[in-house]
Amino acid sequence: MQAEVADSPAGSDQALRLGGVLGTAALLSACGGGASSTDASSSATSPYQFARPASDQEAVRFLLQAQFSASDADIASVKAIGYGAWLRAQLSAQAGQTGVAWLDSKGFNAVTANSRSYFSTGPADYMVWAQLMTSTDAPRRRMALALSEIFVTSTTVMTGYWPAYVMAAYWDVLCTHAFGNYRDLLEAITLNLAMGNYLNTRGNKTADGRGSAPDENYAREVMQLFSIGLVLLNPDGTPKLDANGASIDSYSNADITELAKVFTGYDVDTSQNAPIMANPVTGGGTDNVPQTTFARLPMVQRGNNHSPQASHFFQNIPGVTPVNIEANTNAATSLTTALDALFSHPNNAPFICKQLIQRLVTSNPSPGYVSRVAAVYMAILQDDEARAPSGLSASEFGKLREPMLRLVQWARTFNVPSPSTDWTRVGDLSDPGTRLGQSPLRSPSVFNFFRPGYVPSGTTLSAGTVVPEFQIVNESSVAGYLNYMQTAIDTGVGGATGLKANYTTEITLAESPSKASPSDLVNRINLLMSGGQLSADTVNTITTAVGSMAGTITGNATQTATNLRRRVCAVILMVMSCAEYLVQK
Amino acid sequence: MHLLKPDLHSRRAFMKRAGQLAFSGAALPTAMNLAALGEAAAFNSPGDYKALVCVFLYGANDFANTVVTYDNPSYAQYLNIRGAYTGSAGLALPQADLAATLLTPTVAPVDSLGVTRQFALNPAMTRLASLFNSGKAAIQLNVGPLVIPLTRDQYNSTDHRTYPRPPQLFSHNDQQSIWQSSSPEGAKVGWGGNIGDLAMSGNTTSGFTCISVTGNAVYLSGDQALQYQVTTNGAVRINSAYVNSSNVANSTYGSTAVTNALRSMIQQSRVHKLENEYNKVTARSIASEGAITAALAASTPTTFTFPAGNSLADQLNLVARLISARSSLGVKRQVFMVSIGGFDMHDFLARDHGGFRDASNNIIPGLLGKVSDAIAAFYDATVTMGIADQVTTFTASDFGRTLASNGDGSDHGWGSHHFIVGGAVNGQKFYGTAPPVSVSDAKTSNAYNPENQWHVGQGRLLPTTSVDQFGATMAKWFGVDANEMTSVFPNIQNFSGAFSSGYMGFMA
Repeated sequence: MQAEVADSPAGSDQALRLGGVLGTAALLSACGGGASSTDASSSATSPYQFARPASDQEAVRFLLQAQFSASDADIASVKAIGYGAWLRAQLSAQAGQTGVAWLDSKGFNAVTANSRSYFSTGPADYMVWAQLMTSTDAPRRRMALALSEIFVTSTTVMTGYWPAYVMAAYWDVLCTHAFGNYRDLLEAITLNLAMGNYLNTRGNKTADGRGSAPDENYAREVMQLFSIGLVLLNPDGTPKLDANGASIDSYSNADITELAKVFTGYDVDTSQNAPIMANPVTGGGTDNVPQTTFARLPMVQRGNNHSPQASHFFQNIPGVTPVNIEANTNAATSLTTALDALFSHPNNAPFICKQLIQRLVTSNPSPGYVSRVAAVYMAILQDDEARAPSGLSASEFGKLREPMLRLVQWARTFNVPSPSTDWTRVGDLSDPGTRLGQSPLRSPSVFNFFRPGYVPSGTTLSAGTVVPEFQIVNESSVAGYLNYMQTAIDTGVGGATGLKANYTTEITLAESPSKASPSDLVNRINLLMSGGQLSADTVNTITTAVGSMAGTITGNATQTATNLRRRVCAVILMVMSCAEYLVQK
Repeated sequence: MHLLKPDLHSRRAFMKRAGQLAFSGAALPTAMNLAALGEAAAFNSPGDYKALVCVFLYGANDFANTVVTYDNPSYAQYLNIRGAYTGSAGLALPQADLAATLLTPTVAPVDSLGVTRQFALNPAMTRLASLFNSGKAAIQLNVGPLVIPLTRDQYNSTDHRTYPRPPQLFSHNDQQSIWQSSSPEGAKVGWGGNIGDLAMSGNTTSGFTCISVTGNAVYLSGDQALQYQVTTNGAVRINSAYVNSSNVANSTYGSTAVTNALRSMIQQSRVHKLENEYNKVTARSIASEGAITAALAASTPTTFTFPAGNSLADQLNLVARLISARSSLGVKRQVFMVSIGGFDMHDFLARDHGGFRDASNNIIPGLLGKVSDAIAAFYDATVTMGIADQVTTFTASDFGRTLASNGDGSDHGWGSHHFIVGGAVNGQKFYGTAPPVSVSDAKTSNAYNPENQWHVGQGRLLPTTSVDQFGATMAKWFGVDANEMTSVFPNIQNFSGAFSSGYMGFMA
């Protein structure tokens, strides 16, 4: 089943199950590998119209959707083997270092007398930025970041011992399952400790018979946000309508109250906490610090807190199989039954797929695009709607690049970190007035940084067009972003001792072909940052401005180096400030 | 079943109306605005100014531990339902700790069973309790989104055409949107913005009519009025695009040419609609920053005392500074929004909400302490500026929570209690109807027992006052005319005597 749907657009019901390939790892085993094969150039054997890029620009356009950045080597590779083979190679590529292993490698598991670093969330920021900027398996990390904006938890509210490890373990769950099976991901996320802390499954107890009831938070959000959504959907993601033309609720509050019983009785697995480290605290007292292992263990049943009551939900939802978990069913069986029901719900595939398209390619995928996408990652990126050049000239195709993706793209494109590797210099960049207004794994709520249906007021957008990322665009954040990048591009992230870029290649082009018109420099930055999507007018504006800057001064190597570097910085800032770059098409 | 359809809101008609106000030639803005606001005499007087400030409590505030039932019979029920706090479970605040924040209304509130009740504020809300007891604050009981008045039986009816419910009850993002705009997520226009639409033509600088010191929120988006966003430090200058008043450009990486080129590029109109949308925001940012920065710097320094370490207070401090600069900003009517998050306390309510005692036996301030301190400090700032009667502050939130406990927190509900603060408030009073204290679903002869009529399970309050009534009461004070009210609050006519008793009476 999975092999059949993995590399083909839909057109049949089976393709509408997430089935649940988020990547196409299943395809590879079914085909006995094949990562090194190249796509046939004949469209007769490919379901997609566009098998390989016709230009460097098309290659970069694809790469900037599939991962964070485009290098010269990436461009050559995708041109040589085509989109499908390149994607298959990424799916079978060895996974990079985990977040937990990264923290260990940097010594963040150390317990220092009179330091309470085990309560610090900061290393979670260092970890995720390092992963996004340097991990060797960028496509997997890109997919994981998109998943982190659907299955949201947040560093911002993590407390207790080792919150950075708790967040790293959550990040590792997303990376592990990024190209795996949605059902596996859903269960791993449900039992993940960060999610348990965030949406209160941890410590959730059965009713006490006096008025208290199981916590409903996870039961509600797992349906509203992680699996099926608020209203019943057609396979193409449009709402189903009743006889009166109204949408149909996917569940009632009674369904939530019933489902909440399933998620009771769970708590942290403390079985690997020993040896406990007794750490004296300045000012008196001792912290009994557990090993970090608990952070990555799935939550377990502890005590006798699982609800013995029957759970009946989806009893009267048209087209949805009722779920009946009888009284005294054990926790594991209850969980399997409930998650299977969400996984097999007809909403699941279109609900999740549409949001992944929005994160990777365009805010407004057509219904057909949504319905074709089953083996999510490969299908999203190879779909004709993603690849067709017509998207480049359509007036509403594409999406606003998220601020955190802009920074990661800059960092990867220009070899950050160089030379410093002090990741403690990059932290929480959430402040909209002075930083990016967004920081990975730091959503302000489970509803992510922005909502899939956001529309600004006073807009000239067509009716029905949504622009999710614009929810974090305002008069302050546009300014904060530009000011932050102006400094980062020049002196680096985190100030003078922070993470710097290496512009060696670009500096050689700083006066090429001429000092007054360095179009080779502008073209390179335009290619790598925007896939060559800047208009001729914009390229000309940038080239002219940079052409007027000081350059080589004979006999003064120091000033020459400064001048040439400033030219490079100016081009990067101007490219990263213009709307043609900011909107990824 | 979405009976709250946007087209029922008359937004189109409203937009045309507002457009006429702004662009109708001979009857220029001031005159038209006077008619619309019905305040012809007052409007041109030198001190004329009004501001409406929304304090949004994101995450849904727990009503039962905010405005706490106090009289002995109802407190006993509350204690039985929530359980005495043991350090790890139980949500009931000790009655003895409520004595210091006991509310002393001029008229005792009567609940829907006809029983006279007493309430105290959360022990962390001492300053807000003082404002109430000194007549500067009022409490609206059990308010929430409603299309029409509903009983519990009508709420349970499957006939949603006759008994429409607000869509997506209990869902955070949708109920935030409905509180702010009468429509679920995806709404483009909110009632704060619509009030701004009507008032903006009286402002010389109409772009400063609706100002947010927090994130983008539909509340402040009008058909014409756009929300303008500032930080707690004011407006943010784009350094690489800055040209000073003498027309001298900043140097970017040593080049003024780069600054000029960048300044031009980032504001230009674009054919691609998303690109154009982004550049419009940037252009507004650049156009407004200079005026805001200059006005804040030039306005007479006023000594405000806001608490430190309180993000809500930081935002309200900036609102106060902007109000102090109202003359140089050229504004006479402003709608502000500030917010504080973290109220979604499914867990750790005793630790985080405020009012319980810590290990050292001190009252924990929690989020409610911050809300109380920030709002009171802001009220004091308006007194300092001599405009306390011209500024009204109110709270709003996603929804109320369950009265029932889930162990150490509460779950999603519907109706809640909210505050209105200011010199123009008919304070020291409760408005609306107090709900009975019950989480029971018990029925007699197939009808819910009277004490169970006003919640829809686990003590999720069925509102007895609609958000439309709550908002319209303040809009009327702000100057919105009765015949404009339905275009701002689309369901107001569904509440009996909407334009007389529909107004809740808490504004002078």
